[in-house]
Amino acid sequence: MKPIDVQPQPLLGFARTLRIALSGVKYRLFRAAVTVAVITVAMAFLMNILAESLIKRTVADTARDQIAGMRRIDRWIARLSIPQTPGEIIQQAASADLDDDGRDNLRALGQMADDEVDDMITACVDAAVYLDFFDNLDYGRRRVLVGRAEGTMIFDRLQDAAFRDAFFQRLNDMKTVRFVTEPDRFTTFLEGWPGLRARIDRIRSGQTLAIQMIQGHLDGRSLMEALREADGAFGAVIRDSGFSMSDAEAALLTEQVGQVADNALIEEAMNRAEIRQAIAARRDILPGDVTPALVWDMLKSDDHAAWYLGLMNQHGYPVANWSPDTINDLADARAHAFLLKQAERATTGTGGGLMGIGERMTWLALVSMLVCAVGIANAMLMSVTERFREIATLKCLGALDGFIMTVFLIEASILGLVGGIVGTLLGLLIALLRMLGIFRGLLLQAVPLPELLAASVLSIAIGIVLAAISAVYPSLRAARLAPMEAMRIE
Amino acid sequence: MNPAAVADAEERRVIIRSVGMKKIYRRGAELTHALRGVDVEIYTGEFISVMGPSGSGKSTFFNMIGALDSPSEGRVFIDEVDVAQLTAEELAFLRCRKIGYIFQSYNLIQYMTALENVTTPMAFGGVTPDESRKRGMELLELVGLKERWFHRPIEMSGGQQQRVAIARALANRPSILLCDEPTANLDHKTGDEILSILEKLNRERGVTIICATHDHRMMNMCDRLMWIRDGAIERIARRDEVEVQLASIE
Repeated sequence: MKPIDVQPQPLLGFARTLRIALSGVKYRLFRAAVTVAVITVAMAFLMNILAESLIKRTVADTARDQIAGMRRIDRWIARLSIPQTPGEIIQQAASADLDDDGRDNLRALGQMADDEVDDMITACVDAAVYLDFFDNLDYGRRRVLVGRAEGTMIFDRLQDAAFRDAFFQRLNDMKTVRFVTEPDRFTTFLEGWPGLRARIDRIRSGQTLAIQMIQGHLDGRSLMEALREADGAFGAVIRDSGFSMSDAEAALLTEQVGQVADNALIEEAMNRAEIRQAIAARRDILPGDVTPALVWDMLKSDDHAAWYLGLMNQHGYPVANWSPDTINDLADARAHAFLLKQAERATTGTGGGLMGIGERMTWLALVSMLVCAVGIANAMLMSVTERFREIATLKCLGALDGFIMTVFLIEASILGLVGGIVGTLLGLLIALLRMLGIFRGLLLQAVPLPELLAASVLSIAIGIVLAAISAVYPSLRAARLAPMEAMRIE
Repeated sequence: MNPAAVADAEERRVIIRSVGMKKIYRRGAELTHALRGVDVEIYTGEFISVMGPSGSGKSTFFNMIGALDSPSEGRVFIDEVDVAQLTAEELAFLRCRKIGYIFQSYNLIQYMTALENVTTPMAFGGVTPDESRKRGMELLELVGLKERWFHRPIEMSGGQQQRVAIARALANRPSILLCDEPTANLDHKTGDEILSILEKLNRERGVTIICATHDHRMMNMCDRLMWIRDGAIERIARRDEVEVQLASIE
C-alpha cells in the first residue's frame, strides 16, 4: 500500500493575492467606503494641522522682516527715551545680525576703537550664552547656585572668589544640571567681566548723555512729532548725540511716523459728528454703527477715498497736498499691517512636536489616529465576522493561514491608501482655504510647496500603516478560523 | 453499478480509516460527547451515504474524516497518513488536492465568477493561470455550465451554483469527495441533476464519494449506507442488504 505523498502547500504569488483582495474590496464597496471615510477624516485632520503649521511658519518667516519694520517707531522711541540695561546691551551686541549701524552705535556711544568693539562683541556672545543658562534655570536651583542675583548681577556676585568656589561646588552637586561650557572657560570669562562691565557702563553713560541732549532739542514737541523730521534736522540731532542712524533708516522712520500721523488725522476726521453722519448717509447705516474698521475698508476704493478727501478739505483738515491715492495707500498699508499682526498672532506657539505642529496638536493628532485605528479595527472585525463562511471555505480549498492574513492586510492597506489620499487632499484644501482667509496676500508669497508635498506623502504613508496595523488583529482572527466553519448552516 | 464496488471489500484499498475516533466538546464544566469511538473503513471508489438525525454527531464525523478537525482521542488515516501528524501546510495541501468539499449552502465565493471559483483551488495548488483556465473550463463543461463561466453566483440558480461547487471540488482531481447534504436546498429536479453528476463521477472517474444525506434517491445509487446515532455508528450495510427494507417502507 503506497501512502500519499503529502507536501507543504506552495505560497500564492503576490499579484494573485492582490487581485483576490481587490475583488473582495470591490464586492463590499459600501463597507469599504465607510472604513475609507473613517481614515479620510483622521488623515484630513492630521494633514490639515500639518499643512496649517507649515504655512504659518513659512508666512512667519517671510513676514518677520516686515513685522520688525512695523516696530521701527517703537524701537526708536524706546532707544531715545531710556538707556538700555546691561542685559539688553549684551543681547544686542551678541545678536548675530549686528549690522554696521549697531557697531557704529557701540563705537560712538562707548567711545571705543574698532578692535575694542570686536573684543566687546566676542565677550558679549559668551555673556549671552551664560545669561541664557541662568534665565532658563528654575528659580529654586538658581537660588541655590547664585542666591538672589539676577541677570548681569550674577556675574558681579561671582567676582568674589569664595562665592565662586562655592558656586562650582554646588553646580557639581547638581547631577541633573549641565552647565553650558567647561567651568574653566566660565572662570576666564568671569575674570574678564569687570572689563566688559566697564565698557557696558561706558555705553550706558554715553546713552544717558545722548538722551539728555536729544530731550533738550525737543522744544516742547513729543518725541513722536520730532521724529517726523528724522531725515532732517532732528535726524542730525540724533546722529550728533551718538546714536547712529543710516539715511535709509531715517527715510523709513520718517515715512512711518508720517503715516501714523496721517492715519491719526483720518481717524480724527471720522470722529467728527458731521463727517460721521455723512459716512452713515453714504453707507445707509446709523451714525452709531460707523466704526474705524468699516471706514478704513471703505477707503480702499478710489471713489470713496476721493469723496472722503473732499469731506476732509471741506472741514478744514490740513490735507491740501493729499490726493485720493494718498488715502488709498494709507488704507492699503493699514490693511497690510493688520494682516501682518494677524500673521504674527497666528504664528506664535508653533514649533515642537511632529513637523513643528506643537505638542498639543501632536497629542490631538495622536488621539484622532487612535480613534481612527479603533474604527478600522472594528470595521475589519465586522468584515471578518461577515465572511466567516467565505474564509472557512477558502481554507477548505487549501488556503494557508498566511494567505488569509495577507488578503485582509492588503484589503486594509488599500482602504488606508484611498482614505489617506482623499483625506490628505481634503486636509490640504481646507488648510489652504483657511490660511487664505487669514493671511490673504501674504499666503501667495509663501506657499511651502516642498514641505507640503513631504507632509502629504507622510500623511498618506501614516494612513496606510495605520490601517495595516489596525487590521493585524482582525486578520489574525480570520487566519485562525477553523475550516469546519464552512460546514455550518445559518 | 460500480464494478469495483461489487468486488470483495476486503481486497480493496482503504482510503479513509478511523480508529476509536472520539470527539469531546467542552463548554465550561459540561462535556459533550459528539463521537463516542467510531471505527470505520472507507474504500477507494466507494459511494457511501451517511445518515443520521441532527445532533447525532454526523457533522463532527464529517469534519474528522475531511481533515477539518482533529479527534480528541483515536486516529484518522487518510490514504494511510495520520491526519494528526500533519503540519498546517501539509493539512492545507491535503485539503487542496486529496479532498473535494461540497456544502449544503454551496459556499461559492460571491465576488468571483464561476470560472474564478473553480480555479481558486488550482491557484492554491500551484497550477499556472493558463493551465487553470483550461482545466476550469473543462470542469465547467463537465457540469454543463461552460456557457456561463463569467456569471457570478448571485446570477445563478441554486442547482447551477451547486454544479459550480462540484466543479470547484474537482479542481485538483481529488480522490475523495465529501458532500454535506448536497441536495437539501434544491428542488426535486435539480437535485436529480446533481445526483446524476455525482453518480457519473463515481462511476467514470472512480472518485470516492462520502455523502451526508436524507435524500432517498441517494440511497438508490450508493454502495453502502451508514447510520449514525448518538455519536456512534448504529449500522453499516451494503445497499442490496437494505433494499428489501426500503421496498417495504415505500
